[in-house]
Amino acid sequence: MSIEVIIFIAMVGTFMVSTFGFKLPVSVAMLLSSVIGALIGGQGIPVRHLVEGTFSYVDTILTIATAMVFMKVVEKSGALDALSSLIIEKFHKVPALLLILIMLVIMFPGMITGSSTASVLSAGSIMAPILLLMGIPKVSAGAIIAMGGLLGMIAPPTNIPAMIIGGGIDMPYVGFTLPLTILTFPLAFLFVLMLGYKYVRKLDYAKLEPQLDKELRKTYGVRIYLPIIVLLALMVIDSLVPAFPNIGTPVMFLIAAFVGLFTGKKFNLFTTSKEAVKDVLPVMGILMGVGMFIQIMTLTGVRGLIVNTSLSLPGVWLYVAMALSIPAFGAISSFGASSVLGVPFTLALISGNQIIVVAALSLLASVGDMVPPTALAGIFAAQVVDEPKYASILKKSFVPIVILIVYSMAFIIFSKEIGAFLGV
Amino acid sequence: MKRHHITAIVLLVVVAAISVYTGGIFLSLREPDVIKPGEGVTEVRKLSDYFAPLKGTRGDTDVYVLKGEQEGGKVLVLGGTHANEPSGYLTAVVLVEQAKVTAGELIVIPRANNSAFTHNDSQEGAPLYVHFTNAAGEERQFRYGSRASNVIDQWPDPDVYEHASSGQQLSGSETRNLNRGYPGRADGNLTEQMCYAITEMIKKEDIGLTFDLHEASPEYPVINATVAHERSMDIAAMGSFDLDMMGIAMSLEPSPVNLRGLTHRELGDFTDTYPLLMETANASQGRLRGATNEKLALDGKDKYYVSAEALGMLYVPYDENGHSIEERVGRHLQGVLSYTTAYNDLYGEVVTIENVPTYDVMLAAKLGDYLN
Repeated sequence: MSIEVIIFIAMVGTFMVSTFGFKLPVSVAMLLSSVIGALIGGQGIPVRHLVEGTFSYVDTILTIATAMVFMKVVEKSGALDALSSLIIEKFHKVPALLLILIMLVIMFPGMITGSSTASVLSAGSIMAPILLLMGIPKVSAGAIIAMGGLLGMIAPPTNIPAMIIGGGIDMPYVGFTLPLTILTFPLAFLFVLMLGYKYVRKLDYAKLEPQLDKELRKTYGVRIYLPIIVLLALMVIDSLVPAFPNIGTPVMFLIAAFVGLFTGKKFNLFTTSKEAVKDVLPVMGILMGVGMFIQIMTLTGVRGLIVNTSLSLPGVWLYVAMALSIPAFGAISSFGASSVLGVPFTLALISGNQIIVVAALSLLASVGDMVPPTALAGIFAAQVVDEPKYASILKKSFVPIVILIVYSMAFIIFSKEIGAFLGV
Repeated sequence: MKRHHITAIVLLVVVAAISVYTGGIFLSLREPDVIKPGEGVTEVRKLSDYFAPLKGTRGDTDVYVLKGEQEGGKVLVLGGTHANEPSGYLTAVVLVEQAKVTAGELIVIPRANNSAFTHNDSQEGAPLYVHFTNAAGEERQFRYGSRASNVIDQWPDPDVYEHASSGQQLSGSETRNLNRGYPGRADGNLTEQMCYAITEMIKKEDIGLTFDLHEASPEYPVINATVAHERSMDIAAMGSFDLDMMGIAMSLEPSPVNLRGLTHRELGDFTDTYPLLMETANASQGRLRGATNEKLALDGKDKYYVSAEALGMLYVPYDENGHSIEERVGRHLQGVLSYTTAYNDLYGEVVTIENVPTYDVMLAAKLGDYLN
């Protein structure tokens, strides 16, 4: 047994014992398993590496924290309730169309920013009350939002995993719009109908109407929606107007949240912000732990072991390895999986249509955002629908995820034919 | 005091201690390496001499000039475009410390992206330094840095990086990649400004031939290769023929017209120089590598790359001997000599570089033997 295998077993074992045996937080368990891995790998306790590994997630953590503050602000100012009542009032007669519209709205921030977290915590949190009011159970609503987040981050125009893989093989991000459209939108419509239509098919508006808060719209008028409008405007301008200064997604969330202080019901900003940060603190801790974990895996050669084992499988097993290892590595980071596994797999499939292969691999990588322990899309989807156990969201999303993986693999296997058909 | 308050205080003290300790390490990386110019160096300039706004920033860097007594052409060597590709950087250092120019002018920038040398890529487990012993028995230390500028110098990354002159889109972090920012922008971010300054220098100095020295992972298709702009193709063809005659396999790749921001494309399009980019095989930046450490960066020995070679996944031969830093620097040095000779022969703008170890000499030596 090679030293890398021993280290890997020790790291996973330490993680399991810490979380399930000693009931330690996931973040602490990852820290401990990183230290154990480093010790067995002859690195002592490499404090520099442990700290350096966390740096990858500084931007993500800022996005998560500020997005959660924004979410609390739109909730407490009444913007969420007002928007829910408006949308249901206008579209209750066409529930299937309403569901598809909701899915597109959920996907939109991900399409613009390339982040499933941005989708789930902004549009997802805004659409969650509508889904719940329409009678969709929390778990199904959470699964719709999570899958919307995943597909939003892959849908054009912005697909960061595809850009990361392309960057690794010097391939410009050109020609992806059509393949990504065909990869994501059909799945999005299928999933939202699959998960939600049976609950809304016979929507009883008379029964629903008393639950809608129409007073807010009357009291505050259009200004109650301003924080949402400002956020969307900032995201769109940032994406479409190159001259617009690059302020970063966290600042966009903060500006929109600040606007929310003056547009609706009054609330205490300090306690709201504190509540928001407290809610996401465990996730931020997990990300830090994950950063250390990857750094130690790389340092000790465990990452090389995983990549080589995945790539060295013959024939059809290579495709099986691809379908399983990319989402599994995404448990650590979907962007990390794109770089570490996506690039070598693309090179291994160099005889295929590269644009189709990279587009499909990016869709495969998105699944990582639903795999524990990070499972950012799943965890935040559970939070926005107020479901205490995010595992139930993951369970509900299992079939859509399997469909997504099979669909991606079909594109990879038939990349040449699909590429020729699409003219890319 | 409640128990959880005591726990919180203890944790805060531990975090503060770790922050101070690691902060000290990260700050120390900003200290530039000691480069000891040889007697061939006639002048040391700054990149900011060509674009004043870089002055006082970590984008500014030393520009070494080796001017011959006879008039002639001008050749530029860029090392350290990517600070995690040590052979490019160290080749430039060897030129600064050893080379003598009898005709024309050789200009060398060892740390083209100076900012990239001040940090490491997170989650890559890279060593902080590589070490050598010189002929006098002294230890020389050089940074192993990052592929991109330091986020302390340029932050935040956009979600998507759009190359200014072409509109090409790449992932946001590429906005800090020097070799995606050419020809650069005077009013752009720090990395674009560095590109702009180098482009301005090439124009102002009327540099005829430009080398950009790189390394790539062994699984990357363009490796042990020279990438040439279409205008540089004659030089590249003649030079690679020379290298071939010496038994040095060097594939010749045309610069893709749709991949923008790179030296071999933009410097050829926007200036009169003939740009060439060379790649050697560096296991320590590959995705298939095993344990990551200084030894791997220097000897390239890696069991996973040996098995990957057996599976036909690599674009460079790989066995238990790896690819040593001497071999990689030797390739770059010989490439600089052979392509410069080709340039001299083709265009009559003579640049004569002497006292540089050739490929064969480097293979039989230690890199430290050629450091002052």
